[in-house]
Amino acid sequence: MPDVMQVTCLKAGLYTSIQDEGRMGVQDQGIPFSGALDKSSMHIANQLVGNPLNSPVLEMTMFGPILSFENSGQIAITGANMKATLNGVSIESYKTIDIEKGDRLEFHDTVFGCRTYLAIGGEWLVPQWLGSYSALPSLIESKVLPSKIKDGYTFRINTGERIAPSRIPVNQQPIYSECYIIRVVTGPEFSQFDIDVIQSFFEQIFIVDADSNRMGYRLKGVLSNYKSSGEEISSGITIGTVQLNNAGSPIILMADAQTTGGYPRIANVVTEDLEIVAQMKPKDELKFMLISLEGL
Amino acid sequence: MEIQPFGDSAIIVTFEKVISEEVNQKVISLYEALKVQKGISYLIPAYNSLTIGYDIENWKFVTISDLVKVTINGTPKLSSTSERKVYSIPVCYEKPFDLDSLEVCEQIDLTKEELIQMHTGQVFRVYMLGFVAGFAYMGSLPEHLACKRKATPRLRVPKGSVGLAGLQTGIYPTEAPGGWQIIGQTPLNMFDPNRGQTSLLAPGDYVKFRAIGLEEFKIIQLKIETEIFEMEEAYA
Repeated sequence: MPDVMQVTCLKAGLYTSIQDEGRMGVQDQGIPFSGALDKSSMHIANQLVGNPLNSPVLEMTMFGPILSFENSGQIAITGANMKATLNGVSIESYKTIDIEKGDRLEFHDTVFGCRTYLAIGGEWLVPQWLGSYSALPSLIESKVLPSKIKDGYTFRINTGERIAPSRIPVNQQPIYSECYIIRVVTGPEFSQFDIDVIQSFFEQIFIVDADSNRMGYRLKGVLSNYKSSGEEISSGITIGTVQLNNAGSPIILMADAQTTGGYPRIANVVTEDLEIVAQMKPKDELKFMLISLEGL
Repeated sequence: MEIQPFGDSAIIVTFEKVISEEVNQKVISLYEALKVQKGISYLIPAYNSLTIGYDIENWKFVTISDLVKVTINGTPKLSSTSERKVYSIPVCYEKPFDLDSLEVCEQIDLTKEELIQMHTGQVFRVYMLGFVAGFAYMGSLPEHLACKRKATPRLRVPKGSVGLAGLQTGIYPTEAPGGWQIIGQTPLNMFDPNRGQTSLLAPGDYVKFRAIGLEEFKIIQLKIETEIFEMEEAYA
């Protein structure tokens, strides 16, 4: 028997939003891709509660929300460890957890990793726009569609029968670090840079700036001898495009980024490594490694 | 023309590195032809380039780049006699909307009347949408209207603001940060997520601005709120 469960976000946390696969195919209207930044974590969470893998989830950032459940159901938590507690008792990630009426789920801060995903079993009764449940990126306004979640936000889920609980073995769970090597392929403007700029791009260790979000990761560090050649003619951007601003600092563009830009695009993060970038938080370190498309 | 891989799941086709209607038409023709193609996940037409996202499960760079070459060769060129749709966009160039008109007029040595005359006197092409959802980059402006962006960008440019930057003119579809010189405001909803056609303008469309007073601005606003406003369009 399907039952409707109401979920209330008592406290929203630092940046919590509903995300799914995002909106592919509307970028010609200037609409960002959106969607969960760490797709594998989203898929695993959905799998653990028996939902289709592309069902919406809550994406939480660095400091999570406090939620209350007004009916019974099932949840699963994946991604960065936010030291979740259910009614004050610690619960494990990467496993199916039964929820009872009146339960209170509390997330805290992350030590390693940046984003945590919460799947809730059943059909999410939340508004859809252009084929996706993902929150609107910050520069689109709507009275009907949700952007990021605010304190007191409630949503409903059509819960079904509980499924047999399962878990992901510890040796198959991701381990997060504070420094990474990120694989890239050359970007459209790669060949117009001098060799010492390219060398410095691959030799430097960059630090994730505090001003990083779902639109982009700003990196601290300036390429040596970088001279801006003035603006390019505005052109398309994909998720993972690394552009250099006028000062010579790289920015990795993420799912909520604008669809076009005028800065030179030196490289592109490979799709597989995007979910690693998604788990990096301010002050984490990274180095780029060039690979060839054929090597993928 | 150059075809390059763009990351591991997209390619970018770049035509001549200039901003012109002729080059942009090549982009739009290819965009229209690929829109109906299966296996393409997204398209981003810009001034002189088309970004083509594809499904990596089914496509490889080589196959998609061959498809693009075949499509370009098989796409008929735009004939000069084809009709173009011109949207009339009402703009109030008066206070309080003309935030930077004084600065612009000083910079390019024109009176405000001349500025309005030049901005409303010619049909502009929509080259691309980008920056924020539904932001139309239009041009090209007469050389005389070319002005620099603001030294310090505004944190909040009001929704509907009409701006100038270099040889381009554009409309902010929503309140957003930005450095364009603002000379007026349109009461139209350039982008509405609740509308079937979210963006009023599409790449390849044409636009002519029409100067309106404060009174008419308010009337149009009211008509839009009550959903009785009808867009003016003509073929030229």
